[in-house]
Amino acid sequence: MKKLSLLAIIIISSIQFVSGQGLGGPGQIKDDGRFAASTKQLNQFFRRFNAEESEDGLTRYHNGDEMYHNRELRIKYVNLLFDNETSNITKSLKQEFIDHVTAENYPQYLSFHRENWFAEVSSVFTFKGKRTNVTLFMEIQQEGLGFEWVIKEVAFDGFKPYFDKKEGKEKPFLHPLSHELGFMNLRKALQDNDTPESYTSDGYKPDYLTLFLYEIKSGNMKFETVNGVKFHFFQIGDWYFEVSQFNRPGFNTGWLISNLTKVADAEEKEAILNYIYDQK
Amino acid sequence: MKKHIQAFILLFFATGLIAAAQSDNISPQRKQAIDSLALEKVKDLSKYISIIGSKDTQFSEANRVMDRAEELFSPGSEMGVSSLSSQDVAYYPVRRYFERLMALNYDNVTISWYDIHYISDLERQPDGRYVGVVTIYQRFEGTSVETGLNYKDTTKKDITIYVEKKQTQVAGRTIEFWDVMLGDIRVTETSA
Repeated sequence: MKKLSLLAIIIISSIQFVSGQGLGGPGQIKDDGRFAASTKQLNQFFRRFNAEESEDGLTRYHNGDEMYHNRELRIKYVNLLFDNETSNITKSLKQEFIDHVTAENYPQYLSFHRENWFAEVSSVFTFKGKRTNVTLFMEIQQEGLGFEWVIKEVAFDGFKPYFDKKEGKEKPFLHPLSHELGFMNLRKALQDNDTPESYTSDGYKPDYLTLFLYEIKSGNMKFETVNGVKFHFFQIGDWYFEVSQFNRPGFNTGWLISNLTKVADAEEKEAILNYIYDQK
Repeated sequence: MKKHIQAFILLFFATGLIAAAQSDNISPQRKQAIDSLALEKVKDLSKYISIIGSKDTQFSEANRVMDRAEELFSPGSEMGVSSLSSQDVAYYPVRRYFERLMALNYDNVTISWYDIHYISDLERQPDGRYVGVVTIYQRFEGTSVETGLNYKDTTKKDITIYVEKKQTQVAGRTIEFWDVMLGDIRVTETSA
């Protein structure tokens, strides 16, 4: 921890405020290094993780530049991209991750345009007049001449009670000879019963996003505000990490890794995704 | 303003003559010129905000400056403001934001820039325009002699910039240039 602080101070003290960095003019305040140290945008998180910018943040390194993807710089940077104040990431796990992504024989980088990362947007809507939290999961996709963010999934507690499907003997059902009576028992199933989801196939999964869009278009759901954003990354083989924004005093601020875990296989990845989407 | 014009001229001539084969990709050198122009626009906005927020500014003059400030923005741009006490974003159309600022009626408004900024890469949108984000840190101080009001805060401003290739006629020839417009601005009070 002390070593890290020292490293941070060394990096920060190495930042040269060249003329032109500031916006000039009267009333300019000199940064004491905290804003320079902060990972100010997610874009900067990508650049730092990959070692695609200079330590003062002023020079963008491109493929062919001497320092582009430089291993030593990456080791420095990735070390600084962790939340060291509130997260429970162990030193050994962090070191293992850094060794993994900066391995000499097979370094791994993040890519803005590649899949396997997405945003979690905590937002507030009014649903039938009542303020309620809705979580939107968004991802980048290619469209037209460029890229766009799109809504991939929605998590909203208000929808869940509508899809409380029992299993086995507990579940209402349409008996296996219903067809012989022209399915006349559908009346009892769908009119006299408040769990119509009981009559859906095993593979049925409610599509909350469609419901969400329907409720917006019906005027029952109205957007109020966003109150938090975080990002989930599965781009590094065998690892998952979360990136959150930290607005606090000190040098360990901005967009930082707030959660890190190894992912053994596809099944484990699925379990993490289910947990994130809260759509179990 | 002088720098603004210089940056524009630089961009103007950096783009060269129109050619059907000219690609819409932005080279690192051109990106630097675009960054300079974007920062000039951000600086202009800051100057306008100082004028709008000052009690010394006549109402008619403040309105004229608001018009000028609005010209920097793409239509429909909004300010999204949050504070340390509330993460919720409050949304204001740009004009409304200026009007609220004017209503604060400070005797003196000082907006200082920290000597640090960050400009993102430019990403292309589905419609072909490029979008980027400029992050700046500003110190706002408003003082009112009458009420003894003395308000200070430091905010992080994440400013959307739209970069678009445009054409103009010069001496009968079509010249292409890259223009920068401001978009939505996210204002976050910072504790750093």
